[in-house]
This record gives sequence, structure tokens and C-alpha cells, in this order.
Amino acid sequence: MSAPFLSARGLAWELGSGVHLGPLDLEVERGECFVLVGPNGAGKTTFLRTLTGLLRPTAGQVLWEGRPLADLSRRELARRLAYVPQVRPARVPLTVEEVVVLGRYPYLAPLQWEPAAGDRAAVERALELVGIGELRGRRVDELSGGERQAVWIAAALAQEAPVLVLDEPTTHLDPRHQREVATLLLRLTRDAGRTVVAATHDLNLASLLADRLVALAGGRALAAGPPAEVLRPEVLAALFAAPFEVVRGGPRPVTLLELGQ
Amino acid sequence: MKRLPRLSLALLALLWLAALVGAPLLGSQPVALGDLLSGEGTGAAIVWQLRLPRVLLALLAGGGLALAGLALQTLFRNPLAEPYTLGIASGAALGAVAALRFEETLGLSWLPLVELASFAGALAATALVVALAAEGGRVETPTLLLAGVAVSLSCGALILFLQYLADSTQTFRMVRWMMGGLAVVGYREVLWTAPWVLGGAAVLLALRWDLNLLLTGEELAASRGVDVPRVRLAILLTTSLMLGALVAVAGPIGFVGLMVPHILRRPVGHDHLLLLPACLLGGGAFLALCDLGARTLLAPAELPVGVFTALLGGPFFLWLLLARRRERPLL
Repeated sequence: MSAPFLSARGLAWELGSGVHLGPLDLEVERGECFVLVGPNGAGKTTFLRTLTGLLRPTAGQVLWEGRPLADLSRRELARRLAYVPQVRPARVPLTVEEVVVLGRYPYLAPLQWEPAAGDRAAVERALELVGIGELRGRRVDELSGGERQAVWIAAALAQEAPVLVLDEPTTHLDPRHQREVATLLLRLTRDAGRTVVAATHDLNLASLLADRLVALAGGRALAAGPPAEVLRPEVLAALFAAPFEVVRGGPRPVTLLELGQ
Repeated sequence: MKRLPRLSLALLALLWLAALVGAPLLGSQPVALGDLLSGEGTGAAIVWQLRLPRVLLALLAGGGLALAGLALQTLFRNPLAEPYTLGIASGAALGAVAALRFEETLGLSWLPLVELASFAGALAATALVVALAAEGGRVETPTLLLAGVAVSLSCGALILFLQYLADSTQTFRMVRWMMGGLAVVGYREVLWTAPWVLGGAAVLLALRWDLNLLLTGEELAASRGVDVPRVRLAILLTTSLMLGALVAVAGPIGFVGLMVPHILRRPVGHDHLLLLPACLLGGGAFLALCDLGARTLLAPAELPVGVFTALLGGPFFLWLLLARRRERPLL
């Protein structure tokens, strides 16, 4: 049996008291869309940061095809996992094209002066995939929230890593931009064979996107499986400490938050 | 797309050349062109032996100070970061003043004591400021600036204390040196400074992708493959060594590292491929022109160039603070 594509084994992270993650045992399969849902402070971001090697776990490890992630250099990591964090600097004085070119960093030789033709081509592909080619000369901090999110996704795509990791990719976006981002992620997994790992509060988006969902609460996996299995009233009530109604009928469940009287 | 930045860079190169050629010809003592070309007479001596090394040193020192300021501003993503606000220059100055005070007592005249002490001071101040501001692997910028101020003030107090202990000859040397001057230099100082500034420029240029990525934040830079702790160490070491070398020969010349990168970002943009050479050229030309002003405006008296740049820099610093309050993006 071959080693799983990307897996967490006894993964845990702790800082003093309060913030903690795990121990978690999870597996991400090649080409799937793997979505984490959970309340604020559930450890979603911490999990994504340990998964991308940005945070060293205090126990356990992340394995890439059976090989510990900790053995890889930062560049090797960046060629495998591209990250779109939730919190980003408010002021980025660079243009869209300058930012997307930086996605090619893990392929640049240390003293390379200009990006190679292959790097340029990857930048063009990323700009086209996200549909922001016409913004290339604009400064990133002059763009709207939706456009800016598209730039960060394009920069991560320019990395051409097999796995794209996104933290709250649609938060603060209006429905049109939410749809654009979600459609793009679906296309990446279905057509481009990429693997997507995303964390979100948005249960209905998660239901639409996910091949598999993990419900994270207090740093632990409460439930895991296809959306229909995880998005059940009792799981959601335990997860968010709030009552939910789940509407079934279509291919994917729709969740409704029940308000108090 | 990149026409304006490249045009600006070309203009800066012309300005730099103009300073190199023009500044030695100007001064309180007029020099006849004939004397200069024949290489005879006091005029030629003034230009070749006094003014040219001084202009060369100004071009190097200004470039080095601007590069150090730019690198620190990018590293800490703060427009107020530069060798002076971070206390690095004060550390170097303290080292140099201590060397001036004790060099006779130690009697190690075969050692370049002032230079070595200046390096040690710059490195120690950098290490101290970063250690004070580091919190679990992250450097908190507000703490960093406060730590820089604290280190600057402490070094200033220690310098005054050393001056108090010094005899009048030493005190005079210290005070003149502290004002930041290019007055008494020869080719020896130029040859000493050049490898540090040009080497530092080469290191920073090699890091230009990393510097660009740092503009997007340390987390994103790391996720793109930047080894952030190593790059941070490389930048801090490079700027400290450049500063140590410069402060040892020219004294503390403030505000160049603050002003020049800010002025140049508007026309040149933020891509370090263009901004680093622009700072090397623009900083050099700026300091050479300041020095020209310092030695001609009150002629025949000479103002130390550090006083001149500080007179310009104080109001500039205030303007930066006010602009920041109006939420104009500075960096």
C-alpha cells in the first residue's frame, strides 16, 4: 500500500494555556477538496499553518507521501504547498504583476536576475485562471477586497504547487466574488487536478465545495466525512453551540441557523 | 509600464556623475581649470588631494546609508526604521568614541581601533534592539522603534560620560567626529569604505526577491519559500557592518537613510531591483550635494555635513509622522 498523499499523525500544537490543537489524525487525498469547518478559535488556522510548515507542531507530524514535512526546506515546501492566509498586510505597495511574480520565488536560483520564460508563462496562466489579467499594472493596495483576494490566490497559483491551502477564502467577499472564488476552487480540483485544503465558517460554501469535510472544535475533529454526513443538526449544534436546521433534497445539504424567539 | 522607474534611475545615474565631476570643482577656493589639468599649483592639490576623496567618500557613505535605511524599512515594514532610529548608528558611535578615549591608554596603535570598535558597537546595538523587540520569533515593530530609541539614548548618555572623562584634545576630536564630518579624509578612508558599501549593496541586490517578498509580510514570504530568520540575519548583519564601517570614518550622519528611500519610492517604485541601485546612486548624490552645501554656504567656515543633514532631516521626520497620521501609504 502506498503512503497517503498528505497526512497528519498525532499532530498537536500548544502555546501555554488556551490555544491548542489536536492531537489530530487526518488524511488528505490527491485531487480532493478538503474543507475544515468550525467556530472561531477551533484551531483551523493553526492546523493550516502546521500543514504548510509555517508553524512547527509541538507533537506529531505532517507527512508528504510518507515523508515528514519537517525534512523539507522552505523552498521545497513552497513547491508542494501554496498558502493563501486570511490575515494579510493592509499595505502592499507592489503592483499585481509584481506580487504574482513573487509566487515563482521557490523556482528562482539564488542569483537569478530576471524570472525565466517558464516563470513568466506560469504568471500568465495564474492571471488568466483567476481572470485578473487587466489588473496587472495596478497597485494591490488600490484594489477592492474581492480583487485583492483574487490577487493573493493568483500569486499562490503561480507557485504551481499541487496543493493549494486557503484560510477563509471567501470571508468579507460579496456573493458574486464568493461565487467566483468557489467556482475557481472547483475548477482547480476537477480540471487541473490540484488538491485544495480550505478552512471556512461558511457552512453552505463548505457543503457546495467539499469532497470531504472535517468539523473542528477545540482543536479536535468532531466529525469527518462527505458533507451529507458531517452537516447534521446534532453535529452542528455541538460544533457551534447554536441550533441549526439542515435542509436536504438537493445533492448537497443546506444549513440554516435557527434564531431564538 | 516601467518607463518612469527606469528613466528615474537613468537620471539618478546622471546626477551621481554630475556630483562626482562637479562637486570637486566647486568650493570656497576657486580653482582654475588650467591648473587642474596641468596638475600643478595649489588649485590642483585642493581638487585632487582634498575635495575629490571627500566627494568620493560622500558618494559612498550616502549610498550606504540610504541602502541600510531601505533594507531596514523593508525588513521591519516600517517607514521610520533606519540606522539612527534603531540605535545602530548610536551603537557604532559609542564604540568609536570609546576607542578615541582609550586608544592612547591601550597603546595598540597598529590596530584600527576606531573601526573595530565601531563595528562592535553597531553589531551589539543591532543585536540588543532586535532581542528586546523579538517575541517568540516575531519582531514587534512598535517595540522595535522604542527599543531603538532606548538604545540611542543610552548610547548618547554613555558618549557624554566618556567625553566628560576625556581631556580637552580628546573631547575636541570626539565632538567634531560626533557632528558627522567628511572634512579630514583622504584616499585611505575611501579605500576603506568602498568594499563595505559595495559589498553590502551586492548582498542586498542578491536578496532583492526576498526583500520584495518581505513587503507582503513575513508569513506570506515564508509560505513562498523564504527562509525568513536567515534573510533577517543577513540583512541585519549587512546593514550593521556597512554602518560600522561608515560611522568609523565619517561619524554619525543622520537622516540620509530615512529621507532618501522615501523620496525615491515615488518615482522609482517599490521593486528592489530598481530601488536598491536608486538608493545607492541617489543617497550618494544627496550626501555629496549636502557636503557641498556644508562647505560653501558659510564659506570660508565649514559646517559638518552631519549637522546639515540633521537640519534637513528633523523637519522631514515630522512631515513623515504627519503624513502617516493622514493615512497616506508611505511604504
